[in-house]
Amino acid sequence: MNDKKDHYIMLLQGAMLILNFAAVALICVFIYVTTRRILKYYDARRFLDGVVTIPGSPRDNLVICLLLMGILVLTFALRQFMKDIQNRFIVVTLILDMAVSGAVIFQLDFNYNGLLLLVFANVISYVKDRKIKLFLVALAIAGYLVADYDLLSIYTPLYNIDDYIRYYSSNTQQYLFSVYNIVISLNIILFIVYCVYVINAQRDTIEEVNLLYHELQTANEQLKEYADMTERMAQTRERNRLAREIHDTLGHTLTGIATGLDACLALIEVSPEQTKKQLVLLSKVSREGIKDIRRSVNELRPDSLDRLSLEVAIRKMVTDMSQVSDVSIYFETDEKHLKFDEDEENAIYRVIQESITNAVRHGKAKKIWITLKRIDGEILLVIKDNGTGCKEMKSGFGTKHIKERIEMLKGTVAFDGQHGFTVTAHIPIRWGETYD
Amino acid sequence: MKMKNRYRWFLAPVLFLGVSAMLLAVYFQKKNTTLEFGMFTGSNWDVANANSFIIIDKAIARFEQEHPGVKIHYYSGVLKEDYSEWFSRKLLEGEEPDVFMVLGTDFNQFSALGVMKNLDDLIQEDADFRPDRYFSSAFRTGQYGDVQYALPYEVVPTLMFVNKTLLTKEGIEMPGQDWTWEELYDICRQVTKDTDGDGILDQFGIYNYDWMDAVCSNGGEIFQPDGASCYMTDDQIVESVKYIRQLNELNQGQKVVQEDFNGGSVAFMPLTFAEYRTYKTYPYKIRRYANFQWDCITMPAGNRGENLSQVDTLLMGISSNTRKEKLAWEFLKLLTYDEELQTEIFQYSQGASVLKAVTQSREMENIVQEDMEEGDTVISGNLLGRVIEEGHIEPKFRRYEQALALADSEISNILENEKSIDSSLKILQRTINSYLQQ
Repeated sequence: MNDKKDHYIMLLQGAMLILNFAAVALICVFIYVTTRRILKYYDARRFLDGVVTIPGSPRDNLVICLLLMGILVLTFALRQFMKDIQNRFIVVTLILDMAVSGAVIFQLDFNYNGLLLLVFANVISYVKDRKIKLFLVALAIAGYLVADYDLLSIYTPLYNIDDYIRYYSSNTQQYLFSVYNIVISLNIILFIVYCVYVINAQRDTIEEVNLLYHELQTANEQLKEYADMTERMAQTRERNRLAREIHDTLGHTLTGIATGLDACLALIEVSPEQTKKQLVLLSKVSREGIKDIRRSVNELRPDSLDRLSLEVAIRKMVTDMSQVSDVSIYFETDEKHLKFDEDEENAIYRVIQESITNAVRHGKAKKIWITLKRIDGEILLVIKDNGTGCKEMKSGFGTKHIKERIEMLKGTVAFDGQHGFTVTAHIPIRWGETYD
Repeated sequence: MKMKNRYRWFLAPVLFLGVSAMLLAVYFQKKNTTLEFGMFTGSNWDVANANSFIIIDKAIARFEQEHPGVKIHYYSGVLKEDYSEWFSRKLLEGEEPDVFMVLGTDFNQFSALGVMKNLDDLIQEDADFRPDRYFSSAFRTGQYGDVQYALPYEVVPTLMFVNKTLLTKEGIEMPGQDWTWEELYDICRQVTKDTDGDGILDQFGIYNYDWMDAVCSNGGEIFQPDGASCYMTDDQIVESVKYIRQLNELNQGQKVVQEDFNGGSVAFMPLTFAEYRTYKTYPYKIRRYANFQWDCITMPAGNRGENLSQVDTLLMGISSNTRKEKLAWEFLKLLTYDEELQTEIFQYSQGASVLKAVTQSREMENIVQEDMEEGDTVISGNLLGRVIEEGHIEPKFRRYEQALALADSEISNILENEKSIDSSLKILQRTINSYLQQ
C-alpha cells in the first residue's frame, strides 16, 4: 500500500521534473532559434527597437540552463534510487535544488519561475522535520512571489520571452503564446494534483493508524480479560490443591487421632496400660501430622522462597521484573538478616510482587523504589513508583489482596495515589519467636 | 565503511558541479585572450575617408606596446550603414566587442537595453581622468539618464557655408561671426532674383536650412531632456518655424535643389565641419564647388539665441558583458582622452577632437591650414571650440529618433501646405506628447 503511494508520488514528481526541464529547454531553445532566425533575415537592429533588453549569449544561455537542469535531474535520481540516504542529506539536496532553481530562474531573467513549484513539491513530500519544512516552504513561497517577471522588471531591465514571440507573424504568435501558457498552466495543474495527492495520502495514513490503534485496544482488552480469567482459574486450582492437601494430611491425621482418642476413652477404665500405649501412639501420629502439615505448607510457599532467603528472592524478582519490562526497580534495605517466619516472609514477598505488578500494569510506572526498614520492632515496607497514580482510591487494582495479607499479620497498610503510587505497610514481626 | 557509503552519493553532484564549472571556465577563457574592438569603415560624417583605419591602427600599436601580451582585434570592412545591423547581430549572439563605436542613432536604444557599461565607477576610480578636459557638449552626449555610458571620440559642429563669389558679385560683405537671422534674411532677399530674365528665379539665398537649425540658434529645445513631453508651442520653436516660412516665401514656391547650390547660384547652406574639411581639400575640392570661392562661418543667431548649431559626436563605449573591464577602459581612454591620438583626428579624419586643449591649439590650425589654399580663412580654434562647447546636443531618451521624425515630417507638411503655424504646432504638440507618454 505504502510502496504504491510512494510510486505515484515519484511518478508525479518525475512528471513535474520532466515538464520543468522541457519548459526551460523550450524557452532557451526558442530564444536560440529565434535569434538565429533574426540573424538570418538581418532583422537584428529592428528587433532591438522592440525589446526591453536581451540575454547575454543565447548559446551560453542554453548550455548553462541545461547543465543546471541536469543537476536537478541528478538530485532527483539520488533521492529516488538511494532509499537509505539520511534525512539531512535530503535537506542538502533540496537546498541544492533551490539554489540551482534560483540560478536557472536568474539565468532566464525571471521569465519562468515554475521551477520553484517543483522545489516546493519536493519539500512537502521529503522533509519530515516540521521546522526545516516550514523554513524551506517559506523560502520557496517567498522565492515564487519575488521571482516574478512583472514585479522585477520594474527595478531592472530583464529580457522578455514575449518580445521574442512577438517577432513572429501574428498567427505564429498566437500558437507560440498558447504553447507557452499551456506549459506554465500544466506545471501549476501538476503541482496542484501533486499537493492534493500528498494531502490525501497523508490523510489515508492517519486513518489507517487510527484503525490499527482501535484494533490494538480491542486486542488489549481481550488480553486483559484472558489474564483475569487465568488468574481466577489459578486461584481455583490453588484452592482445590489446598483443600486436597488439608483433606489428605490434616483430615487424615485428625481422623486418626479422633478415632484413637475414642478408643482410649473406651479402654481407660479397662486397661490403663493399654490406654497409655494408645496415647503414645496418638502422640506419635499427631507429631507425624505436624510434619505432614509443615511439608504441605512448604509446598504452598512461593517457588523462590522455597529455595532462597527472602532478600535473595526479592532481588531475584526485582532483576527478573526489570529484565522482562523496561522498568527500573531499586531495592533498598538496612536489615542485615532478613529472616522471618515463613508466613511473614510470604506476606512481604507477595506484597512486593503485587505492588510491582500494580505499578507496571495500572500506573505505567518507569521507576519503582522499594525500601524495607526495621522501626521499633516493626517492619516498614514502602513501595513507591513514578507512574500515573490515581486520584481516587478504588478497591480492586490488587490492593485488596495486599490489605488482606498484611491484616492477617495484624499489620496496617496505607495507599497513596498522589505523585505516583505509594504503598506503606507496617508489619509487627514475631522476633525470636519460633514455632516448633 | 558505512560513512563512506553515505558520502559517496553526495560526492557525485559535487563532482558534476566541479566538472561543469571547469568546462564553462575553459569555454569562456578561450574568448578572453584578446580585446575586441568594434568599428565601422569610413567616416561617421558621411564624407569620403580613406584613412579611417590609420588612427585606430596607431592606437592599437601603442596599446599593444604598453600592454604586452594583450592583442586587440577589430573587424574591418563594416560600412557605416551596415554597422548598426552588424552590431545588433553581435549583441543578439552575445558576442559584442569589448570596446566599440556607437552610432548616434543607436546610443539611446543600446543604453536603454543595458548592453553598454556604466562608466561612472571607472571614471570615479581613475584619478588621471578629468571629464572637464572634454568639450562638455561632447561629454554629455555620452550620457543617458544621468549615467555616462560612452565617451566622445570625434565631434562635428554644423557651420554655415557661404558662397563668397556670389556675395562679391552682388556687392554684399561676408557676414561677421555674430550675425543674426535678420542679416541672413536680408542677404537672401537681396540675392534671390531672376538673373537671365526668363521669369523664373535662378539665384537663391539659402538651401537645406531647416527649422531644427533655426531652433538651435534661437535658444530652443524641442523635447524635455527626459523625453516626457515636447515644447512645440514654445516661442523659440514657433518663431523658428515662422522664420523658415519667411525664408521659403522668398523663393516664390520654387524648390531649391543641390544642383543649384553646386552650380554656384545659392549663397548659403548649412554643412558640417567634416564636409567643410573634406571639400576644402584635394581631391574633393575639385569635384564639388570648383567654380566659386567659398568659406564657412557660424550659424546666424535668432532673436532669443546665439550663433550656435547642432553638434554631432561619435561615441565609443564598453560592453556591459566585458570580462576585461580595466583593459577596455584603458583602450577607450587611449582613443578618446589621449592628446597625441586626438590630434591625429585633424590629420586623418574630418571631425574635430573632443578635447578642448587639442581643438583650440595652434597645432590644429596648422594642420587644417596645410590642406587649404592660401587665401582661405581657417576657422579659428577658439571659435570652433566655442561652437562645439556651447553647441546643441540631442536629448537622450529612447523614443527620440521616432519622435523627432514625427515632428520633422509634420512641420515639413505645415510649411509645404501653408497651414497656420500656431494652431498646427498646438495640434502637433498634443500628437507628439501622446506618443511620448504611451
